[in-house]
Amino acid sequence: MSNFIVRKVAVLGAGVMGAQIAAHCANANVPVVLFDLPAKEGDPNGIVKKALDGLKKLEPSPLAAKDRVAYIDAANYDSGLEQLRGCDLIIEAIAERMDWKHDLYRKVAPFVAEHAIFASNTSGLSINALAEALPAGLKPRFCGVHFFNPPRYMQLVELIACKGTAPELLDNLETFLTTTLGKGVVRALDTPNFVANRVGVFSMLAVMHHTERLGLGFDVVDALTGPAIGRPKSATYRTADVVGLDTLAHVIKTMQDTLPADPWHKFYAAPAWLTFLIGKGALGQKTRAGIYRKEGKAIHVVDLAKQDYRPSAGEVDAEVAAILKIRNPAEKFEKLRAHASPQAQFLWAIFRDIFHYCAFHLESIAGNARDVDLAMRWGFGWKEGPFETWQAAGWQAIANAVKADIDAGQAMSAAPLPAWVFDGRVGVHGKAGSYSASARVEQPRSTLPVYARQVFPERVLGEAEERGTTVFESEGVRMWTAPGDADIAVLSFKSKANTLGPDVLEGIIEAVARAERDYQGLVIWQSKPPFSAGANLAALAPALQAKDFAGLEKGVARFQQMSQTLKYAQVPVVAAVSGMALGGGCEVVMHSSRAVAALESYIGLVEAGVGLIPAGGGCKEFALRASEAAARIAGGDVFLFLQPVFQTVAMANVSKSALEARELGFLRESDPVVFNAQEILHVARQTARALAESGWRPKLPPRGIKVAGRNGIATLEMMLVNMREGGMISAHDYRVAKGAAAALCGGDVETGTPVNEDWLLAVERHEFVELLKTEKTQQRIAHMLETGKPLRN
Amino acid sequence: MTRQVQDAYIVAATRTPVGKVRGALRNVRPDDMLAHVIKNVMARAPGLDPKLIGDVIVGCAMPEAEQGMNVARIGLLLAGLPNSVPGMTINRFCSSGVQAVALAADRIRLGEADVMIAAGTETMSMMPTMMGNKISLNPAVFERDENVGIAYGMGLTAEKVAAQWKVSREDQDAFAVASHRKATAAITAGRFKAEISPYTARDHQPDFKSGAVKIVERVVEHDEGPRPDSSMEGLAKLRPVFAAKGSVTAGNSSQMSDGAGAVLLVSEKILKQFNLKPIARFRGFAVAGVPPEIMGIGPIEAIPRVLKQAGIKQADVDWIELNEAFAAQSLAVMRTLELDPQKVNPLGGAIALGHPLGATGAIRTATVMAAMQRGEAKFGMVTMCIGTGMGAAGLFESVV
Repeated sequence: MSNFIVRKVAVLGAGVMGAQIAAHCANANVPVVLFDLPAKEGDPNGIVKKALDGLKKLEPSPLAAKDRVAYIDAANYDSGLEQLRGCDLIIEAIAERMDWKHDLYRKVAPFVAEHAIFASNTSGLSINALAEALPAGLKPRFCGVHFFNPPRYMQLVELIACKGTAPELLDNLETFLTTTLGKGVVRALDTPNFVANRVGVFSMLAVMHHTERLGLGFDVVDALTGPAIGRPKSATYRTADVVGLDTLAHVIKTMQDTLPADPWHKFYAAPAWLTFLIGKGALGQKTRAGIYRKEGKAIHVVDLAKQDYRPSAGEVDAEVAAILKIRNPAEKFEKLRAHASPQAQFLWAIFRDIFHYCAFHLESIAGNARDVDLAMRWGFGWKEGPFETWQAAGWQAIANAVKADIDAGQAMSAAPLPAWVFDGRVGVHGKAGSYSASARVEQPRSTLPVYARQVFPERVLGEAEERGTTVFESEGVRMWTAPGDADIAVLSFKSKANTLGPDVLEGIIEAVARAERDYQGLVIWQSKPPFSAGANLAALAPALQAKDFAGLEKGVARFQQMSQTLKYAQVPVVAAVSGMALGGGCEVVMHSSRAVAALESYIGLVEAGVGLIPAGGGCKEFALRASEAAARIAGGDVFLFLQPVFQTVAMANVSKSALEARELGFLRESDPVVFNAQEILHVARQTARALAESGWRPKLPPRGIKVAGRNGIATLEMMLVNMREGGMISAHDYRVAKGAAAALCGGDVETGTPVNEDWLLAVERHEFVELLKTEKTQQRIAHMLETGKPLRN
Repeated sequence: MTRQVQDAYIVAATRTPVGKVRGALRNVRPDDMLAHVIKNVMARAPGLDPKLIGDVIVGCAMPEAEQGMNVARIGLLLAGLPNSVPGMTINRFCSSGVQAVALAADRIRLGEADVMIAAGTETMSMMPTMMGNKISLNPAVFERDENVGIAYGMGLTAEKVAAQWKVSREDQDAFAVASHRKATAAITAGRFKAEISPYTARDHQPDFKSGAVKIVERVVEHDEGPRPDSSMEGLAKLRPVFAAKGSVTAGNSSQMSDGAGAVLLVSEKILKQFNLKPIARFRGFAVAGVPPEIMGIGPIEAIPRVLKQAGIKQADVDWIELNEAFAAQSLAVMRTLELDPQKVNPLGGAIALGHPLGATGAIRTATVMAAMQRGEAKFGMVTMCIGTGMGAAGLFESVV
């Protein structure tokens, strides 16, 4: 496979999806031209410019850093089409109208470069039908790329070939989508709504059907179909509000029109209440009313019996909640099915019908069962796909139960389960791969070279689990090597949320010692995010209660020692970060030789929230980085570099992306940002290897770190005085922030005084322990331990 | 008055239009603005031999970076004054411009000079923060409670004044709306025309198509700050900036601005020698200190002091340029001294017209002079509050 280079992308259509896809390309350092219709008045690119402004305001932000939006050029179809010639990939994302799309294709086709890929982000129109408007020369370069909203955050992209799409082109595109944009690609067949929406929308229809049949409230159903069954918080009806009830109705209509022979066809219709709400203009979030409506601070929900909104409550029956807590899936499903309450019956029914539907349609909609399960995880945020749930609950038992319900006429369709369901299997996922109903074999994972970058691809339940070879294991950590990679060791934490307690600290120190002895490098990587939620506060509690401040100081000193061990390790130590790296976790990142961070890395020093300051070397590291940065500019003023850092620390700011973590100074320019979280282990190992190969020596301990000193502290205190007097921070916030100021400025010494790391660590430690002695900090810690939330006092 | 040997007369005063921060004058250097007003004030006294200028005193509140290097001397040389003319930059924050006028007048009143230029220049567009390029506070400030006010931002002091003098949000907003209304009306009626020396900004910009540097000229004739559409409803939407539950907003505070002003002062001897027509006689100047945390009330001390020095009743002053640092402090001053609102800022104030810190005193002196030339004032005053807790007031008597 030769290199596939994407120098520039064009996105056609600056609507919700188009603009956000453009933003995500820009996030990934891919310049974009974003097209839309010429504006009727004023700037001809006005429509696109308005969309670009909209990107800056959207939450969660489609932009991983504010400056990214500058890499999206605005254009229009009248005067900008020449710009298409310079684009290697063109993604069409205009409204879902076949005729409009065809018109546009005819218009732009003459401007598409001879090598360029042309793809549609349609969410359900036939790719083959879309291709009809294209000239013969472009058809082999056409396919579907279906992103999910919001495209930066939703992992799934469905890749749909049409007849004649060149296979190499699909491979190239899959590689680009996977590594460059960080997406999870599922190859889908050209069937209406493809995989995720086909199953997901049916799932919503099934939920709606059983809601009405059992007379449950929408709020109750949301309580049942959210995290309680491993689905997102927005569950079913709130998701519908977010998507837009009109959009949902449109997708349902597509199914109704395009799937006439489907055994579930009679359910492909918007329920009367949905049509009624749409008619009233209650379209969901975008119109501020839909199935739910905010009234002041209260949330109200539509009550079908009352024909009006009522306050939303929605509670799961205690007995049903107890069943849902059962860990053994087989037992859970058996009990749900047997329980007579409407809520239990509802849950069994929605699972039964989704199992039925997926088994029946697997052959026609997806290559194999893994694609269905991953599509539902990545596209709808389900913790596990329908086949995984089924297999976990006992394949045959569930199959028989579903069959019994079908036979009894209780299922939504009378269509029989396909024969392969009963061929004696124990599931659809196994060591050999996942079942393909069309090929009638177990299909292994894709051998596309890009997947070699995923040392541990996201596993579906039942798939073989690889754990590598353990080097050593303690209560806190496991050090191991991955197969085929004996020279770089990996360290993973075992604590909850990968917090740093004494076991983990000692484990890290031990791992560095072992790596120095036996390996070329060490990677710190967690099998699941977060990287680390921070120091384990609970471990502090006993000493705090006993007012053993000398002991506490020793504990902090040990933490600092761990940080310094990482920093001065004789082999490179690379932190592979994904998700949160907070407090102590952030300090581990800052002290590693390099960090390799997934785009979705949320890094911050959040100690202020519990009335403390970073004391695992975080303040020290910022102080010395400010000194180094200042030394690089003429007449460098350390304070200029410390001021933004101080705000970050005092306000406990957490980055909203790895790019933002760089801006905030938690990551260095030399720390690679990787868009696909599944690839960080690979990149981290390669980084460690490259550092080792280039003759790794740790940095020399800096001498003569110039600090901002007492004038710096006073100047920061000036800001604090204004915030306190302005009623923006409490007296204790002030006290905590002043501690951070002291630690960042190197203590009460003259401005510009040269100090060393030990001095800075001592100041940091001292300020930390002094804060621990305050009653208000103790209250904050206790509150966090009890409630998991910060206390403002 | 009794100690002086001669009177100081103002024979000309002019100013640039005041630009909004990062607005029309964003790329105009403060020394260029200064040179511009010096040239123009001299042009208003034709025949006067510039070699006679005893000194050029320039107020500037952040005399560093572009406005460092003794900006007064650089500006006067760029203006084409003979190199025998000296220049000095002075700083008393927001009063620097009127302080320069007072110092210039004093040189004449003492008999040690016969021709003086007083000026002020400030570009807030080029200053990275309101506190200069390098901020460094003395730790001793926090050692005594009475000094902590030094650390207060100006907005916070306005909040303190609003609270202590019970100035409501509504009153502040109404004051701001009135300032915009008066300023807009004055511009429409051309009432600033006489005092303003329009500035032609010449921006050197890259022309990416041709690869050449193109020069974009922009003639700035009017003050940029006033908003004709300012309204109570609009201002009510703004959030307090300096205190969580405060009342001081961006809308009822002075605007950050760029601008310069210059005033030409001479002795009676010079008036006769060059046949110059004086506008006003300088009647005195006073400064006073107040607690730093309520710096906005400075004029409450300074105004009575200058009136007493000059032996003039407050009622006799018919034009008062009271710098609107904040609506809160302006109202506190006006209410405490019972200033006649009709006489205060008849053409609007800094909330609308802008406040280029150290230049404001010279700029507003030009406004008072123009009013006197129109015969609208016998006694005129320029007064303001000053950061870290002071007030200043300069008094002029029309001789038109």
